[in-house]
Amino acid sequence: MAPVGPRSGDAIFSSIDRVNAELFTLTYGAIVRQLLTDLEEVEEVNKQLDQMGYNIGIRLIDEFLAKSGVSRCVDFKETAEMIAKVGFKMFLGVTASVTSWDADGTCCSIVLEDNPLVDFVELPDTCQGLYYCNVLSGVIRGALEMVSMKTEVTWTRDVLRGDDAYELQVKLLKQIAEEYPYKDDE
Amino acid sequence: MIVCVAVVGHQNNPLYIQSFTDADDALKLHHIVHCSLDVIEERVNNPKKSGTTLNEAFLGLLYPTLNYKVYGYLTNTKVKFILVTTDLDVRDTDVRTFFRKFHAAYVDAVSNPFHVPGKRITSRNFAQTVSNIVGSYGLN
Amino acid sequence: MGREVAESCVDTMLMEMVAMYSGRFYANKPELAARRIEAIGYQVGHQLSERYTMERPRFSDHLEAIKFICKDFWSEVFKKQIDNLKTNHRGTFVLQDNKFRWLSRVSIDPSSTSGETEDPSTPGESKAAQAVSMYLYFPCGIIRGVLSNLGIPCAVSADISSLPTCSFVIRVKA
Repeated sequence: MAPVGPRSGDAIFSSIDRVNAELFTLTYGAIVRQLLTDLEEVEEVNKQLDQMGYNIGIRLIDEFLAKSGVSRCVDFKETAEMIAKVGFKMFLGVTASVTSWDADGTCCSIVLEDNPLVDFVELPDTCQGLYYCNVLSGVIRGALEMVSMKTEVTWTRDVLRGDDAYELQVKLLKQIAEEYPYKDDE
Repeated sequence: MIVCVAVVGHQNNPLYIQSFTDADDALKLHHIVHCSLDVIEERVNNPKKSGTTLNEAFLGLLYPTLNYKVYGYLTNTKVKFILVTTDLDVRDTDVRTFFRKFHAAYVDAVSNPFHVPGKRITSRNFAQTVSNIVGSYGLN
Repeated sequence: MGREVAESCVDTMLMEMVAMYSGRFYANKPELAARRIEAIGYQVGHQLSERYTMERPRFSDHLEAIKFICKDFWSEVFKKQIDNLKTNHRGTFVLQDNKFRWLSRVSIDPSSTSGETEDPSTPGESKAAQAVSMYLYFPCGIIRGVLSNLGIPCAVSADISSLPTCSFVIRVKA
């Protein structure tokens, strides 16, 4: 039976297997701590967290598409809304909002006020320059690349660095048209 | 009123100590906290004498001094919480409630991935929460 | 009910953590990768033990602490209890999970781990088993972290000789 249409983030979140957030939060925290010990350079850690996120994103996209009932061919505006309202909700149990669209509709901000990754976290002064939640930027970038959108994702606000919310700027660089597997014989 | 709260690790290493009174008394209060550790050790090793339920975290009144009452609490993870108060009339439920909230705050503080187990708690959130708990002690 | 997240978040994060340490960082040093993964688990276990023992009276002895892990702790983390607990009453405990959640949910990519000591007769099997073993250092670390924080130093290893059953062997240090 064909899916009726896109499901809401809440509906999906209620229907999937869930676990206590603290297992997730503490595991991520321990990974960040270990990375800082092993790599020492904060910039290196940022890079690895982004890479980690990217690899996770390219896996999660399948689950996202399957459970949300969204078709692949959507425009960037709709995509951003889906990430904020459905994506964050079905995986992290929180909703984000999309703001600050530019005139072209190729750049926007995704704002998160509630973020399970950072429960209990207080950054020490020795971690200046660390983007603790950098896994999230990688996840978004990876997931979008799997639906043929090449993006640049950067942090513009970070609560752990003193701001009042988490804000990611997502810039669409290139939207690759779907290629047909078979070429006409010439 | 509560004049001092402390968190002491399983090797009797101080993890957190905060006085809510003049600096002059601080040294005296640290001494009181230190002495209470011996009492806790005795209580835990001789449960029948103390009268509290076996293995309960709340240890009750550890000892009264001339001006203070000292209460103790021992977690499963061998961490001790000490409460020093000048109140003469202390309700059991108030102290239990205090320790329950304090324990929850402690757990959040050590859940910070940057907290080093066995080292002092440096969390600003913890300090703030503790002040709030102390401030609301005894109310309702 | 406390805050929740999708279980797939934990699954993918764990898979990626193992791939990162055993595939990228220490591809030719599986021992180092194992130690890091175990250390990450240890910190998690340490912190979870504070949280999950908060409402409980203190454990009287080692057996009570181990039973806590088998019942309450395992339920909180893996949504089921340990199926079978064995002990030799001399400090060794075997916790048997007949369907260890993380093994059944994650797909472990053998190519993501180092392929140093391969058995030439069954190369495919060995690599896969290596990948699984690497992954299991994490829950072993968790258990060790919990017990250590309860005042019980120990060594923990995983036994996957009869999959899908996974057994965790705890050896309490004297």
